[in-house]
Formats: sequence, structure tokens, C-alpha cells
Amino acid sequence: MTINLERRSPVKLKGRPVKTGIREGRQIVSGYAGAGKGLHIVDLSHFSRWDIQDKRLSRIQPYGDMIPEKPGQIFMDKHLLMGRLNATQAVAWHFSELKPDMPQTQAFTDITDAAVALALTGPAVYDMAEKVCALDLADPLKTPPFLVQGPFSHVPCHLWVLDRTDSGGCLALTCSRGYAHDMVNSILEAGAEYNVTPEGEDIFRAWLGWGG
Amino acid sequence: MAFTITCPVCGIRRGYEFRFGGEDKGPMPPEESLASETWCEYVHMNNCIAGIQKEWWFHRDGCGSWFTIYRDTTTNQQVENR
Amino acid sequence: MKRLNQLPTFRIQYGKELSVNFGQKRCRGLEGDTIASALYANDVRIFGRSLKYHRPRGLYSLDGECSNTMMAVDGIPNVRAENTPAVDGMNIKAQNVFGKTPDFDMMRFMDELSWAMPAGFYYQTLHKPSRIWPLAIKHIRKAAGLGILSPDFHMRGKFDESYISTDVCVIGGGPAGMCAALSAADQGLRVVLLENRPWLGGYFEYRPREYQKGVPLYQRARELAESVGHTPNIRTFKNTAMIGSYHNNLITAFQRGNKSDIFTERYLEIRAGSVVVATGCIERPLLFENNERPGVMQIGCAHRLARNWGLLPGKRAAFSVGHDLGLEAAIDLADLGLDIACVADIRQDSYDSNLAAELEKRNIPFLPGWVAIRAHGSKTVNAVTLSSINATRRRKLSCDTVVASAGMTPVTGPVILPGGKLTYDNHTGFFLPATIPPQMHVAGRLLGLDDPFAIETSGLLAGLKAAADCGKPVENNLKEMAKNQATLPGPTRGTKLVTGPVKGKETFICFDEDCTLKNINQAMHRGFDVPELIKRFTSAGTGPGQGGIPGHNLPMYVAETGESPDRNPKPTTVRPPLVPVYLATYAGSNHDMSKRTPMHDSQVKAGGKMERIGVWNRARRFSSDTSARKEIENVRNNVGLLDGSTLGKFRIFGSDALKALQRVYVSDMSKVAEGKVKYSAMCNEDGCLMDDGIVVKIDENDYYMTASTGRAGQTIEWIRYHTRYDGWNFHMVNLTDAYGVINMAGPNARKVLEKVTDADVSNEAFPFAGYREFLIQNMPVRAMRLGFVGELSYELHVLSSYMQSIWDLLEITGKEFGIQKFGLEAQNILRMEKGHVIIGSESEQRTTIHDLGLGFLWYRNKPEAKTVGAFALKDTEHQKGRLKLVGFKMKESGTRVPKDGSPLVDSRIRGYVCTARYSWALKEPIGMALVDDDLCGEGTTLNIYEDGCKGKLLSAKVVSMPFYDPDGKQMRC
Repeated sequence: MTINLERRSPVKLKGRPVKTGIREGRQIVSGYAGAGKGLHIVDLSHFSRWDIQDKRLSRIQPYGDMIPEKPGQIFMDKHLLMGRLNATQAVAWHFSELKPDMPQTQAFTDITDAAVALALTGPAVYDMAEKVCALDLADPLKTPPFLVQGPFSHVPCHLWVLDRTDSGGCLALTCSRGYAHDMVNSILEAGAEYNVTPEGEDIFRAWLGWGG
Repeated sequence: MAFTITCPVCGIRRGYEFRFGGEDKGPMPPEESLASETWCEYVHMNNCIAGIQKEWWFHRDGCGSWFTIYRDTTTNQQVENR
Repeated sequence: MKRLNQLPTFRIQYGKELSVNFGQKRCRGLEGDTIASALYANDVRIFGRSLKYHRPRGLYSLDGECSNTMMAVDGIPNVRAENTPAVDGMNIKAQNVFGKTPDFDMMRFMDELSWAMPAGFYYQTLHKPSRIWPLAIKHIRKAAGLGILSPDFHMRGKFDESYISTDVCVIGGGPAGMCAALSAADQGLRVVLLENRPWLGGYFEYRPREYQKGVPLYQRARELAESVGHTPNIRTFKNTAMIGSYHNNLITAFQRGNKSDIFTERYLEIRAGSVVVATGCIERPLLFENNERPGVMQIGCAHRLARNWGLLPGKRAAFSVGHDLGLEAAIDLADLGLDIACVADIRQDSYDSNLAAELEKRNIPFLPGWVAIRAHGSKTVNAVTLSSINATRRRKLSCDTVVASAGMTPVTGPVILPGGKLTYDNHTGFFLPATIPPQMHVAGRLLGLDDPFAIETSGLLAGLKAAADCGKPVENNLKEMAKNQATLPGPTRGTKLVTGPVKGKETFICFDEDCTLKNINQAMHRGFDVPELIKRFTSAGTGPGQGGIPGHNLPMYVAETGESPDRNPKPTTVRPPLVPVYLATYAGSNHDMSKRTPMHDSQVKAGGKMERIGVWNRARRFSSDTSARKEIENVRNNVGLLDGSTLGKFRIFGSDALKALQRVYVSDMSKVAEGKVKYSAMCNEDGCLMDDGIVVKIDENDYYMTASTGRAGQTIEWIRYHTRYDGWNFHMVNLTDAYGVINMAGPNARKVLEKVTDADVSNEAFPFAGYREFLIQNMPVRAMRLGFVGELSYELHVLSSYMQSIWDLLEITGKEFGIQKFGLEAQNILRMEKGHVIIGSESEQRTTIHDLGLGFLWYRNKPEAKTVGAFALKDTEHQKGRLKLVGFKMKESGTRVPKDGSPLVDSRIRGYVCTARYSWALKEPIGMALVDDDLCGEGTTLNIYEDGCKGKLLSAKVVSMPFYDPDGKQMRC
């Protein structure tokens, strides 16, 4: 007995997908019809995320050099985000379409399915964030990209402040996967005054200049 | 609501993000030859200082670290290490 | 009532009309009107009736500082008419009125009964005899109280919130506040400016007095407001009342929504690097008989009615004031067409002589050293009696308006709330901040300043000080600005008079609570001498306006009238919220964040009755049958599927991982073998059960462990806490949400599993308590054989993204074997039949593992591990007098199932029922209870007392557990 073992995202966005594809059993939406010019919410839950923990992170190969030194720092390269969480922990986040193989050393744990991952892009991202989050993500003394660990809509999150402009920017966030439904709802509710609409992953790549 | 705590990893945050872990009493005394009274003193008794005390806090909504701070219990403000 | 011709200070727009309904009356207004101004324009003078005495009340301050003008608007009680914009079609009702309009109130006789209600009335009367109390409550409740809220009232609107981080927060958008905001913003800082009114400008905003040659104050206010508006790093919140100020510079405020806003009200929580308090002053009420009769109003109220809304307060007004603002207003209002009967000034000499000359020029009688002592008129004012302050001469004048104000009172709430201290200042007659919390500065009129330049400069200075707090190098600017300030006039000498020569029977010190000077005298006569206690005894200042009206007068009156004059009067306290607020705004938007398993949608679709268990939503059962009989029997007879994804799951690895496990688990975790699951428990220091779960060794120094659903959120915290002094090298990853868990249980479970995997899952290859990893199709699965429900069962941990697909596969495959979903209720009964405990159901804070019969889990020979709870487990192992867990059945067949939580009694309480259910396997009720240890012998009778049983106890007897399959053959087969 076999059936098609489909993989599912915890996120269900209401919108008409116009560009879709299948990657590793997952249905991926690259673009939605009718996505407005306002704030966009993007599901990033399908991109691989690895937890890296070790007493001495700098010796972790092949990533050692890329792991930033201080908590909150982000290393950003084409299709890779590497965020430092604390003295012994970092997260790697891969955005390439081909999933890289995780090194089989003890330091790594695949945590892709542990979290829901969302991006908010466009104008008023940080105005919207202010409504559900007391953290100062728009602190002018901090230059993006940087990573904040703290509550967003009451749920502990990793907040990746990837880009910030006068009017908006790009904020990615991850939290426990079980919160996906309520987190998306909370963002849609708070973002209503900024015309938040669902978008596909293309807009996120485009924002970071990662092309297709 | 106004109380803030400086997490060694994440910096100054609202007190809501943390869980209180009690006064700093040092590690548990060794189990062998431990008298019930000493055990009880360690586990259940507190100094309840009216003033500056060293205590444990856990950054529950943030980085997940346990750390100690000094807090003036009369003003509920974190203070510098004495 | 005709409005004035267009003035540059107007806030109304001619041509844009609206109408509101006041009871039966239709009132026309203009865009820009508040409810208060719209009603006033339609000759409404009585806005409501007072709390106790049902006295008529009307406009007084225009800033909503008392309950006079609180009205029911569209069903919402206690809306402040003075602060709320009129909206076309609004339905407005006066409050505390028995009758059709507030002009004729059937309870107005209460005023004549005031002699019967002295201060402390409720405390002293109506409790003897006690039987009259219920009757009295009924009638007092009916007669007194502000606003009525229907029990089924549904608050409409959107209540939003925002958490703002900023460098500088300026409270008050008057000239000082705007200057502070501009000077801080000039340093490149982020500034938040809060203003209660719908526009900036404070005391400048409506006054035509000259600021400098050719520039009136109102124009200056508009210039400043424009600069503020053009500064991108200033965020201005108008219509925003500050309601709380806390230490570490946390400010809370409520923003009332405009037509263009998406919210009705928005809660703002502002964390600032520095705070500037530029809240200015309110007017100090003048105390005289009938000082709250409609027609009596403060200077700003009369002046702004005309200047902002084009409404002259009446036809003929008498002024009794103590501040130059009063003289200024009289002159301006006279020029606008108001007949001024006279201007009495408390001050003998320190008034501005230029203003006095202007009054003279207009033939307005000016009476320095005179004060109002009584307003006349039964509903509204028709005359006023003035007296010289030494009470030697009197004069009665007819008028329909009395503009009365004793002087100024600074608004110091934002300084006091976070711990600032006030002292009485003899020069200004103000309670001024003597100590100010760190990173907080005060500016403007609140310091007693009157000169426009001095006010602005103090604002600029405060803005610079705030910038310095935020680390800006502004030492030189500060020096220069302080030098400027020194050349300008300092604080003005303020009036001290609290009350003229009056008896005080109808002199109201607090409008909200209907509290008179006589009541204060009564309290003092009873020995009260501290304002704070008098406030409580008389309730003066405890109404919705807080201390706004009585805040200054009460302590000063007490200081002056006491046995010996108190030269250090103490103000009463204020507390947040400083202004009346909607609870709906506090409640805000959706805060209830809960978790869903990967199976959520399909379980709901299948009829799952979802329930919140901690942070999770879970299916209790899949039919309306609360006993879940079908689900239970199907697990016992065929095979069932339970979504167990909420189980806590963790990876723990590193060279000291085993040490950490030995520390928190009571068992010997070095015995964890590959391919086997180890069941163990975590205790607290007292040996009480905190959590149970299994540990699997995945690799060297690499373990996978589970925690119960309720504990999963604290597991990492717990382990780190108990190793915090050790500096061990181990790491943890929370995989709770990474894996879904399918519990497939029942005699046919293996038949289903065999069909979907190539792995050998026979009892020999994969025995009870075994752990295996294999593929279902090409998907890796972590599988364990456990027996919580007492049947052959597999717990499959699968990646969350695959969970639904694998579940579907099992359901399709298992169809021929009778596979069906089951929920928590079925699991609850199945596990109980096995005598398995659920933490929190069969255990409580003081239940050790010994009490639960789980003492066998404890390995006593690892003292070096310092296992949490080990010492207490040794100490309590044979301790007497503990509650022990036992199983019970009912003594007589046919007895119904007792309710969970019912106490067990003889002559006293001896324990309680944990869980009791009807067992379909045993065909009788069974249950578990925690009982005193002398009752735990088999066969002992337990008497169960249920809520509302009226003494009819149920009788049960202790039996051995497990109830079902005591040898555990089913789960091992």
C-alpha cells in the first residue's frame, strides 16, 4: 500500500497561488494573484533550518568561519543566513532550492519542521510589528541584519531583521510550528491597516537581492 | 510591567520575558551526610533581603539562559553588582 | 443658540452640519464639535445628575476632569462628553436621572436629605439591624451610581494596541511640550509626543494675547505645531491621554480613534530613554456654596467655548478668579460680546495691572480682594453673591454664568506615579516635584511659569536634558539654554485662598462623589487629620476624575482647618489609570495564542471535539457520546489512532549529557540501552512528581527524550536550572513541534504497521519497550512500543510536515482491521483501567513517586549525581501521614460514578477522588483516589461526599490496580 506522501506547511494563506511548484514533496507557492502593494506575508517554512550547538562553534566545519561571533549577529550570504543565538548555539537557514545535505556531526540538528517561518516584507513592516511586539526592532543604533530572540505576539520567536528602510523593510520570524495558525492570524489582524496580503517566496528572495 | 532585566545575551528586556529562579544559594550540598534540617534550610528557606539580593532569572521568552542579577527588592530595580 | 462669527481659533467647520439625539431632543452641531459643545449649542445646560444628591450638573472644565458631563453614548455608560467628538446620529443620554430629562429628576429630593448622609454614612449606618442591609443595598444601588451597563451589553469597536520604543517621550503637547520635543528631535533622537486634546497648543492655542509684536499666542501655537508636524522623528499622538507612568520610563496611554483611524481606542505602551513631563496645569476649583451649579464654570471652559467652538457661555457672566488668565478671558469674552457683570479677584495686588486697566477701559467692575461665596438658582445659575475676603461686605449680582477659578494646580501625576515626591511650595502655592525619578524632566506651566518665553525655554531645556540622558553630547547647549532661562521671568506667585467665608454645606470639594466641605469637617471632627485618610473616609477624590477636582483643595483645606496649621501639607496620592478608560481597550486585541498539531484540521473535520489543554488544542472525542464508548471498545478490540503530537520531545547531547540526565531523572540513566526505551520520572527537590517520560539512546552521548504535554514548555528550563552551577557540556534541542506523534494501539496494531513498512515489526524483532527506526515508504520514523493504554501499541514519531500523510496512510491501510480515531477521553479511561497516572490528575504538588507506587523508578545509589529530589525520596520513603494513590470500585453494584475531585470523608476529609469513570471493559465504575495512608489497605471503605449530595454519601472500596489486564499480557503480545 502506498500513497503520495505529501509534506505540508503549517501555514495556510488565503489567496490564489499563480506560481507553484513541488519541492521535496512540498507544494511551494512562488507568487499569489492579487498581492497588493502593501505589506506582504510570506511562508518560508519549507526552507531548511539547522540548529548548531557546540562548546566551540568556531571549530564546526564547514560553517565555522561563517558563524558570527556575537549573539544577535547574522552572517548573510547568497541563499544562506547564519544567526548566532548565544555562546554555544547558532542557526543556519538555507534558501537554495536544492536542499544541502546536513553535516552528519553531532553539533547539527535539522529543525526545519520544528518551526513555522514567515517573512514580512514591504512598507510599514516595523509599524505593524510594533503592534504585536514590544521589542525595539527599529532601533536606529542597530544596523540590519541582526537577530533578536524575544516575544512577538506573545510567542517566543527568532526575529531576523534583515532589511530596514525609511518606510519598511524585511523581517523574517520563526516560532514553534504549532503556533502557525494563531501567529498568521495575529499578523493579518495587526497588519490589516497596512493592507497585508499573502505573497510567494519570490518576493522574499527579490527583497534580499537573491533573484530566482 | 515596568520592571526590566538585563539578560547577558539579549540585553535589556521587559521583566515579563523572564521567570524568577529564586535567591542565589549556591549549589546543593552533597547528598551524603546531609542532615534533614540542612536540606530543608537549603531548599525551602530564603533570606528575603529587604535591599540588594543576588538572584536567578531565566530568559524564557528569549535566549533561554539562566543567569544571576542583583536586584533591590525595595525598589524592584535591577542594580549593578555590588 | 447662535454661534459667534468665524474666529481663527475655531475648531468647528461651518457648513458641515451633524446632529445628535439627546434623549428625545435632536441637537444640531457642526463638524468639530464635542458632544459637550454640540449640546451646549442647543441650550442644554444640565448634563446629568450627581451621584448621591441628584444635583444638576453641567459643563465645568471642558477637559473631562470630573463626572459632571459623563453621559451614556450609544449604550456605553460614562462617556466623557467633553472629550468625545460628536458623531452624526449619536444617541446620548444623561446619567443618574429618574425622569425624561435631567432638568426634571424625580430623585432631586435627595439633595434635601443630605443632612441624613454625613461622611462615612455607609460605614456607620445600615448595618444594624443587619436584616435591613439587603433592602438598603437594593435602594441605594438604584438611587446612586454613575451609568448603567446592561449585563448583556456587547462593546462594539476595535480595540488596538501598540508597543512603542522611543528615545524621548514628551507628555503634554502645549508650548513647553512641543519645544521639548523639537529640541530633543533636533539632536536626531526619536521622540514621541502625547497630547490629550485633539490638537496641540495647550494654553497658547486659544488665546489672542500677544506672544510678540503682531503674533498672538494662538498663532504661535500653530507655528510650533506645524514645526512639530514637519519633523519626521517626532511621532505625535493627539487625542491621547496618558494613563500610567512607571519606573524605567514606561508610559501608558490611551489614544481615542478618529474617523480615519481603524481603531476605536488604542492602548499605547511607550518605553522611553527619557521622559519630559509638560502636562501643565489645570484650574483649581473655587470653593463656595453651589459651586457646581450648572452655569458655574472654569476660566478655560468659558474661554475655549467661545474661542474653539464659537459659543458664548451665557448672556451675563460674573467672574471670581485668582489668576491673570481670568482677567484675560474676561476682556476677550467682553470683546466677543459677553456681558460681564464684574471680575472679582482673590488677589489684592499681584494681578497684571495692564489687564486691570483693560477691564476698566471696558467699564467692567474689577474687585480685587473679593470672592464668590454662593451661586443662586435651583437648576442653573441666576445670581451670585460675592463677598470681600474678610467677609465684611457682600454684593449679589444677577447673572447666568459664574466663571470661577481659584488659581492653578499643576498636573503632576506622571511624576508621582513612578516614585517622585511632592512638597508644598510657598511661592507658587503648588505641590511641586521635589524628587523626580531618574531620566525624567519637568517643563512649562507645571513649574508655575506664566511667561510664554519662559515656558518655551523651559521646554527647550528639558528636551536637551532628555537628549543628554540618551547619550547626546549637549553640555554646551544645556549651559546656554540655562543661561537664557535665567534671564526670563520665573514662577509666578500663586494664590493661596482655599475657600472664602462659607459654611460649606453646599460647597462641593469633590463633584464625582458629592462630597462637601461639611463632610470634610465631619471627618475631621471624628479625628481624621491626614488627607489620605479623609479621602478614604469621605471618598472625596475617589471618583472617575481621580484627584483632578479635589486634588489640591483637600490637603490645603485640611492643613488650614486642622487643630494647628500644617506648614507641610501632604497631597493625596493618585494611581493609574489617571483618566477613566474603557476596559475593552485594556483587553485589546487577540492575545490568546494557542498551538495546533499537524492533525488539527483533519481532526476537526472528522468531528473532533476540540479542547484547550495547556497551550494546545486537542481532540477530546469524536462523537457526541461523552463516554467515548465506541472509541474505547475499538482500541480494546481492533485498533485506534491517537494524535499525541503534543508530547514534549527533546534531543540532548554532548559529553556531559548523561550527567544532566542523571541529575533530573530519578532512575539510573546509565542503564539506558540502545534499542530500548527507558521510562523514568523527574521529581522536584521534595521528591514530588514533576514529569515522566521516556529516554532513548540514539548514539554515544546523544539521547532523545519525551516529556508530558503540560511540561514540555519547561523541560529545558528545568534541566538547565538544575545544572546551572555545574558548567557541564551538553546541549538541548526542543523538537516538540518537529515531530508529530501517532499512537496506534489495539490488538490489530501490528497488522496495520506490517502493511506499511518493510521493517520486521514482529514481537521478537520489535518487542515491548523496544525502540526502532525504520522507513514508512521512504519516510524515517522513530517507533517505540509502549503501553499507556494497555494494548499492543506503537508510538510513531514522524516529521510534522509528513504527519498528516502518514496518518492518512495508516487509516487507509487499517480500514480492513477496523482502525478508528480515538481522543483524549478514550485514552483517559483506557489508561485508568491500567492504573496509569496522569500528572496533575492523580498527583498534586505534594505527591511523591512513593505515594503513586512509582518508587521502583528511583535508583538510590547515585549520590554523586545529586539527583533532584533524591534526598527527599529517601526521607519520605516510609513517612507516615501521606496521601497515597489507590484504586477503588463502588461497594454496591449499580451505583453511579462519583464526580472527579469529590472529597472522601469520615469525621473529616480523608482524601479525594482523582478520576472516576465507567469502565466498559469491567462493566462497572472504577476510579483512582488519593487517600490517607491508613485507608489504602484493600477492602477499606471510602465514603465519597459529592457537591450538593445533601449528606447522602456514595460508598466505595479500595481495590488493587491495574483494573484491566493486571499481568500486562495485552501490551506485551
